[in-house]
Amino acid sequence: MFRHNALRYTVLVLLASGALFQAFTAEYFGLEILTEILILAILVLALDIVAGFGGMVSLCHGALMGVGAYAYALFSTKAGVAPPVAMGGAVAVTGAAAWVIGAIGSRSHGIYFIMATLAFGQMAYSYVFQSPVFGGDDGLGGISRLDLSLVGIDLTDSRSFALFCLAILGAVYGASVLILRSGLGRSLTGVMHNEQRMRALGLTVWRVKADVFGLSGMIAGLAGTLAAQHIMYISPGLLSWTVSGEALVVVILGGLGTLVGPLVGAVAFVVLKHEVSALTSYWHLVVGVILIGVVMSRANGIFGWVESHSGAWIERRLSDATRDPEPEEAVSDA
Amino acid sequence: MAHDLGFWTLQALNALQLSMLLFLLSIGLTVIFGLMHFVNLAHGSLYALGAYFAASLAAIGGYWMGFFLAPVAVAGVGILLYSGLIKRMRKSGPMAQVLVTFGLIFALLDLTRIFWGDLALAIEVPALLDGRTAILGIEYPTYRIFIIALGLFIFGALAFVLGRTQIGAMIRAGVDNDAMAACLGINVERLFFIVFCVGCALAGLAGVVAAPLLSVTPDMGLQILIPTLIVIVIGGLGSLKGAVTGSLIYGFVQTFGAVLAPQLASVLIYALLAAVLVIKPVGLFPAKG
Repeated sequence: MFRHNALRYTVLVLLASGALFQAFTAEYFGLEILTEILILAILVLALDIVAGFGGMVSLCHGALMGVGAYAYALFSTKAGVAPPVAMGGAVAVTGAAAWVIGAIGSRSHGIYFIMATLAFGQMAYSYVFQSPVFGGDDGLGGISRLDLSLVGIDLTDSRSFALFCLAILGAVYGASVLILRSGLGRSLTGVMHNEQRMRALGLTVWRVKADVFGLSGMIAGLAGTLAAQHIMYISPGLLSWTVSGEALVVVILGGLGTLVGPLVGAVAFVVLKHEVSALTSYWHLVVGVILIGVVMSRANGIFGWVESHSGAWIERRLSDATRDPEPEEAVSDA
Repeated sequence: MAHDLGFWTLQALNALQLSMLLFLLSIGLTVIFGLMHFVNLAHGSLYALGAYFAASLAAIGGYWMGFFLAPVAVAGVGILLYSGLIKRMRKSGPMAQVLVTFGLIFALLDLTRIFWGDLALAIEVPALLDGRTAILGIEYPTYRIFIIALGLFIFGALAFVLGRTQIGAMIRAGVDNDAMAACLGINVERLFFIVFCVGCALAGLAGVVAAPLLSVTPDMGLQILIPTLIVIVIGGLGSLKGAVTGSLIYGFVQTFGAVLAPQLASVLIYALLAAVLVIKPVGLFPAKG
C-alpha cells in the first residue's frame, strides 16, 4: 500500500513551494516550462499507478493522453460543447478506452503486456494520423481554454493557467493516493505480487486490472485536455509511442512506485531537456546515456535512490516513529 | 474488375519483399528473446547502423563491399553492446531491459546524427541487380527479386542450421530449457553470444538491403522497430516458424490492406495484433508451449 513518510512529505512540500514560487515570479518562458512540467507530472502519475503499483508497464499512456486531447478538441470545437463539459466528456472517453485496453490486456504479462499496449497506442495514432475528422497530420487548432471568468480567473493568461494546472495536479495527486489506499488499490498491489494467490482468494483479477487501468486512463485523459488547452493546438505526434516511452523514462528516472518520484522525474526531465537542448542539439544522446546509467545502477530512480540512502536517516531525525526504516523491498511495494 | 492478374501478382511480390525484409530483422530479435529472454528494442537501431555502414562502405568500394562488410561491422557493434550492457542486464526484468535498450535507441540515434549528419543518404542499386526482370508474366525490379531470394535463402539456411545441425539442436535446447541445457554440458553463455552476434549481423544485413529502396535516415531504425515487434508478437517469440509466419502476415496485410482498404490499412495490422493477443496471448507459434 502507498504510504507517505517524512521524506515524501518534505519533497512534496519542496516541489509545491518551488512550483508556486516559479508561478508567481517567472516570466512567460518560465511559465511555459512550468506548465509543461505540470502536465507531464499528471501523465506520469497516471503511469506510475499502473506500472509502479500494478506491474502493468504501459506503452500507450501517451496515446491515451492524445485521445483525451483530441476528444476535448472535437467536443469543444466541432460539437460546440461548453469547455467544462468537453473536459468531462474527454476524461470519460479516455477512461472508457483505457478500461477496454486494460480488460483485453489483463491476460498478458511482462513483455506481452508492453506489446499489447503499444499496439493499441499505435492503432489510435495511425487512425488519428489518417482520419480527416481529426485533421490528419495537420492536427487541429483553435482550441479554447476553460472560461473561469465567473470566479474572476482569466485562463488565457499563462500565470493563471500554470496555477490552474498546479491545482489540478494537486487534486490528481490526492486522488491517486486515495485510489492506491482504497480496496481496489490494495488488491492491485496484491495482484502485482502474486496474481495466482489473489485469484485463489476469490478476486476477479481482470476486473481489478481493468478498473485501475481505466482510472489511470482518466488521469491521462485529463492531462491530455490540459495539454490541448496549453498549446491550443494538437497534432497526432501527441499519440506517438515515443511520448509513452518518454513518460516511462520519466517514471523510471524519478522512481517507480513512489508517486513522489515521478514528480521529481518530470521536473528533472523537462529542465534537463531545455538546458541540454540549449547547449547541443543532441539531447537524446544525453537522456539516453542518463537513462542507461540510472537503470544499470539498479537504484529506483533519483527519488528511490535518495529514499533508500537517506530515507532511514531522515525518518529517525524528523519523527520518533519506532517502525523500521523502509529498505528496498518495502519501497517498491509501498 | 479493373485490376488484372498482373496487378495482383505485382502486389503479392511487393508483399513478399516487405515480408522478407521484416523476416531478416525479426528472426534475430525473436531468437535472441527466445534464448536469452532479452528484449532488445535497439534492434531497429542496429538495422539503421547497417544501412549507414553500407552507405559509407559503398562510397569507398561499391555496393558489394557494403553488402558483405556492413553486417560484420554491425555484429562488431553488437559485440560491444553485449559485453558492455546486455550481459549485465540479462538477469533483470523485462522493464529494465526495455528501458536500457530504449536509452540505447536514443543514444544510437544521436550518434548516427553526429557521425553521418541529419541529411538522408542514398545508395545506388548495384549494376548487376539494376533494371527489371520478367517474372510470372510481369516486369518486376530485379533488386526486389534479389531481396525476396535473399530472404528465402536466409530462411532456408536458418531452418537447416536450427533443424539439422548440432549447434541448431543446442540452440533449440537452450530456448526450451536453458538450465537443463547447461546441465547437459552445453556452454549456454557462448551460445547466447553467438546467437546475439548472428542476430545483429542479420539486422545489419536487413539495413544494407533496405538502403537502396528507402533513403538512409537516422530515424529509419525507429520506423522499422514497431513493424518488427508486431511480427514477433504475432508469430510468437523465439521460433523461426513464428518469425516467418508473422512476417508474411504483416507483409500481406499491410500491402493488400493499402490496396483494398486504404482508409483502414494502418489500423488493420494493429487490430490484427490485438486480436492475436486476445485469442492467443503468446502469439501463434511460440517456441515454448
